[in-house]
Amino acid sequence: MLRDQSRYSALPETSFFLPVGNMAAHRIRRLLCNCRQLHSEALAPATTTTTAPPSLYPPVVFSITAKSQAAQRRRRERLYQEVHDAPSLEEKLRIFGRNQRLKYVVYPQTWALNADRWYQDFTKTVFVPGLPAQEETGGEASRVDLSELRSVVCDVLLQELFYQRKRTPYLFRAIDQGPAPFLTHLVPALTAYLASHNPVLVSSSIDFKPDVNFYWLRGETVVPRGHRKGRIDPLRFQIDDKPHCQLRIPKQLSEFVPLDYVAPEEIPVFKVLPDKLPLFKRQYDNKIFIGSKVADPCLYGHTQFHLLPSRLKRERLIRLGLTDQTEVVYRANGIASLFAWTGAQAMYQGFWSEADVTRPFVSQAVITDGRYFAFFCYQLNTLALTVDADKNNPRKNICWGTESKPLYQAIEDNDVKGFDDEVLLQLVNFFLHRPK
Amino acid sequence: MAKRIIYPLYQLGNPQIRVFRTNYFLTLVRPGVPQMEDTVQFRIPMEMTRLELKDYLENIYNVPVATIRTRIQYGSNRQRDHKNRRIKKPDYKVAYVQLGAGQTFQFPDLYPERPETIEPGSLEDIQKKFMEDEMQRQKDDPKRSGVPSWFGL
Repeated sequence: MLRDQSRYSALPETSFFLPVGNMAAHRIRRLLCNCRQLHSEALAPATTTTTAPPSLYPPVVFSITAKSQAAQRRRRERLYQEVHDAPSLEEKLRIFGRNQRLKYVVYPQTWALNADRWYQDFTKTVFVPGLPAQEETGGEASRVDLSELRSVVCDVLLQELFYQRKRTPYLFRAIDQGPAPFLTHLVPALTAYLASHNPVLVSSSIDFKPDVNFYWLRGETVVPRGHRKGRIDPLRFQIDDKPHCQLRIPKQLSEFVPLDYVAPEEIPVFKVLPDKLPLFKRQYDNKIFIGSKVADPCLYGHTQFHLLPSRLKRERLIRLGLTDQTEVVYRANGIASLFAWTGAQAMYQGFWSEADVTRPFVSQAVITDGRYFAFFCYQLNTLALTVDADKNNPRKNICWGTESKPLYQAIEDNDVKGFDDEVLLQLVNFFLHRPK
Repeated sequence: MAKRIIYPLYQLGNPQIRVFRTNYFLTLVRPGVPQMEDTVQFRIPMEMTRLELKDYLENIYNVPVATIRTRIQYGSNRQRDHKNRRIKKPDYKVAYVQLGAGQTFQFPDLYPERPETIEPGSLEDIQKKFMEDEMQRQKDDPKRSGVPSWFGL
């Protein structure tokens, strides 16, 4: 209507016949000069009328599809909301890992130099030497008949390394003959023996060679090439772990320290990208898995058992002149594997980077090459590792760990020489750890 | 052995076999992308393997080597000559050496920025002042605002 009037008013003589006042005609003529002005003035009365009932119209928000930071933020928030509103846990995990991009594949058992320090940075974990103080298990451990247990372990050991006649192993496959079957038989034997002391082991579930996967975002960088070049993108990480075996329990293990305890140790910071570890990027399914599906009753972790490959054997590293890396291998494996497993357990409970954990999650790991044993405890205090979520987040994940110690010195003709009871006692303590 | 050099078989009575030094040549280069402090970047001959490089550094230069990674950099053949034939830049092998024993390496700044200091009264100073005067003299009159000198009375 307004447009029609103004079209008439373009001719000076017709404006004389218009049924509007002089002032109005003047304004209309001025409107015609600038189309944008016309638009704004036409809108002006409309906005004044809408202010009275505010609920009539939806709030004014930024565009979702525009090429702007606000639009990007809105798209991100929409995705977050979608994850929050997911009807089921499977759906939530699916939406969380739906967006596939190139991601760094983190190998827990790695020969990269000083990998443990890098893994601390990726997982926001502090490493504390020594094991955390545990209550209750000390009293229970004294009641265990250690000499009988020692004979059980020695039987399993001799069965694999003395009684059975085995052929010479293939190159780098030596662990398939001695250490791997030893661990396979040791864990059920100890579980069965200690079930009377720790009732949670009765209802536990043991997996052999399970898949443990975890996918997370941490830090950000500028995309170097490709059609998304120049954009700021989070660094994505994926761990695909395969422990030798693991124990899962239906109730959560008790925490070692309270959730808000901030460890005084520093997390190392690296200025260069993880490519320099070296770490390589691949793109495939973003998977989060604890070794069982969501419907399983045993959703919490108790202990993982890892077997180091022959390539990372202590003797080989020493032969290569990497004496300082012998313990690094154990630490890197402990930090990466336990973070992946514990983080996946927390995500199975519905926590993720935008909904940080409200209670700490705890897991344990035993890492061995058949003779040397190292023990690790992990407490997951935070999953908020992305740059947005990590602002003003003082929480850190904590990993406790021991140096590796030999279980025995040598096996000579049906006799285990130099059996170390301390290592066995530590192993027993791990088995006796129970939920409150 | 660096190149395929066939030496005559030693037979009893021949002159003594000599010890030859390697004819590999390495180039220590400044890393294009930032590396860790313990990493040194080299350009090495194509035939050289990482084991040979480790032997080379440890035995000739007594450098403790922890790990070596190598890759082959593809030289571009995008450029064309005047007959529109491709020009290939040669490929080369890059080695990243991680030093052992906690050693670090920083590529030296070979051409540091040196602040210009001219002593007052020296020949350079006089020359510079003369040049400045000349430049000032040859500048156009700002009052004419760019109108050429041949225009006007």
